[in-house]
Amino acid sequence: MSNVKLGLLVLWPTFWTGFPIKMVVALLLLAAHVHPWEGVGLEALLLLSIPIDIWALGLCARTVFLERLRVDPPQGMGLRLWAYWAGFSVVYLPLLYFAVGGVKALAKSATEATIHFVEESLMVIPIAEKITLELVMWGMPTTIVLIVLVYGWLFGLGALAQRFVRVSTPVDGTFQDIVYKWDLLRIPKDQPLLLTAFTGAGVVLVFVFWGLIPVSTPHPHEDYEFVNVKKVEPKIIPKDVIKSAEQVLARAEATIKELEKENPKGELPKNGKAQAAKEGSKPPTK
Amino acid sequence: MNHEPNLANEPNVFEKVVDFVDERVGLKTLQAKMLNEPVPGGSRWAYAFGSVLLFIFILQVVTGILLMFYYVPSTDHAYASTQYIIHEVDYGWFLLSYHFWGSSAMVVMVFAHMSQVFLWGAYKKPRELIWLVGLALFGLVMAFGFTGYLLPWDQRAYWATVVGVEIMDKTPIVGDFMARFLKGGPTPGQMTLSRFFVIHVMVLPAGLMALAGLHIFLFRKAGPAGPFRGTPEEIKAKTDYFFPRQIWKDIVAMASVFLIICSLAFIEPVVLLHEATPDPGDYHPEPEWYFLFLFQLLRLKIFGGEFGQFLGAVAIPGAFMAFLAALPFIDRSPERDIFKRPLALIGWIAIMLGILIFTVSAIINREFLD
Repeated sequence: MSNVKLGLLVLWPTFWTGFPIKMVVALLLLAAHVHPWEGVGLEALLLLSIPIDIWALGLCARTVFLERLRVDPPQGMGLRLWAYWAGFSVVYLPLLYFAVGGVKALAKSATEATIHFVEESLMVIPIAEKITLELVMWGMPTTIVLIVLVYGWLFGLGALAQRFVRVSTPVDGTFQDIVYKWDLLRIPKDQPLLLTAFTGAGVVLVFVFWGLIPVSTPHPHEDYEFVNVKKVEPKIIPKDVIKSAEQVLARAEATIKELEKENPKGELPKNGKAQAAKEGSKPPTK
Repeated sequence: MNHEPNLANEPNVFEKVVDFVDERVGLKTLQAKMLNEPVPGGSRWAYAFGSVLLFIFILQVVTGILLMFYYVPSTDHAYASTQYIIHEVDYGWFLLSYHFWGSSAMVVMVFAHMSQVFLWGAYKKPRELIWLVGLALFGLVMAFGFTGYLLPWDQRAYWATVVGVEIMDKTPIVGDFMARFLKGGPTPGQMTLSRFFVIHVMVLPAGLMALAGLHIFLFRKAGPAGPFRGTPEEIKAKTDYFFPRQIWKDIVAMASVFLIICSLAFIEPVVLLHEATPDPGDYHPEPEWYFLFLFQLLRLKIFGGEFGQFLGAVAIPGAFMAFLAALPFIDRSPERDIFKRPLALIGWIAIMLGILIFTVSAIINREFLD
């Protein structure tokens, strides 16, 4: 098996095996207002990741060795392989970061110069087209360099894993036997104990989570801060209420007197009853 | 001689209750049918997407119901009640942010699930109907995102809806009717909010539950497709029941997605913009992130003008969806290995790259607008 393939086959499941456990830690840190990507949070997460990665790497590498290479690796491979991989990655990944960053900066300036030249000498490119064109122009070489360097990284990881292949013992038996063997790696001896421990840990973590998270929003927006505008209830002063009621009654009395003067007999106009009934059925209008 | 009854063999209360229910509804048969489904080639992480989608949907329903306890679907109170949820209700900010990011997670998972089915060649005979129902579910998930976006009634919500309805309006024959039906007036207002709310909390969940049920029924009927590579001996050796390994993988995948959504709710909680007004002011209208690629595509000169807009907003996406629906009937080759289907692989990569490039372009475009 090629180094790149072996590196990828071990790295991919290792990442996903450790990921959920690390996520639990990251979420608890977030709930406690500690950013897991800076300062103490990052240090805590990295420190906790070490035993998780050693365990996940040992489990996943052993599975790949058994299933794909049909060899039984030596005991304690997880720790030793992790140490090799960590040492290599500490040197390689910063180089990858700076190399990709450098290529990106170079490609961006070359793209800007090219676009500027085209616009000066040939035609004006509309803004939406220009954005996509620029993105593709600097993104393509950057992505190619990134892929090549990741390929190199996987090659290195695979080459380090190959050291363990050489000292592993071949496994006899059918494919079914081998599957059964690596499957047993994942099944605990005392299953009810593991399930109880998992459930217990889950319950504790749920309580810790709800105990830590803020009740109200931890991020009030600086531009759109909530202003709780409470409607001011008008003060009720009994004297004023009586006074205004008296005024209303006085106006009503004056209106009635005026109406009596205009129509002293209180007669209704022609069709008055029908008209009055019609008026009465109408909904009140403001 | 000991005549005392053997208490160890006596069923306890729980077992008695289970037996009682089992006698009437066939619980144990149902359980055996659900859990003892053979998974050809054994359990895989790649098969977890469907279960994760169902899990996210259930949590969206739960958080949605909790939000409805406080949300008022009227133009007078939608914004204020959402602000109230964020700032006053205990843990309301977290519930709303979870619901918001959950909708994005559903879209991502639908993309992942559809990609997995496509790359695995699992849409081929005899699974054509599962694929078709899956496409309809994809449409419903998008509709969920679109209708839910308006509900907070802030500038972002209002203008995303204006843009979306304008795009819909360009559909021939039914476009005008659909736009008028959704808006309920010349501009988005109370009628729009009421209709979007009803569609979001009643019509779409009912449709999704019915179609998801049908999807699962068809899936169980046809059985899992299994891996696209490996000798029959290997596949048979690894074949396993759905319980416990696939269930375990599903649970771990669900827990991971749950943790990611929770983390996003913390890192980027929902923050409202100003209350919706028919004047955009300084705000540049923009749809949800998963529609950004289409929005950016429509900014290209080639898609300018009435016909261009129709072409970019309706004709091309419509033709693409029609192509996806027809795919199992066009691609009749039994070959499922993606590395032996170069056209399918290149096509998938090209589409994913296109979506990525135009989404990033739309994000860069914001700087120019600002």
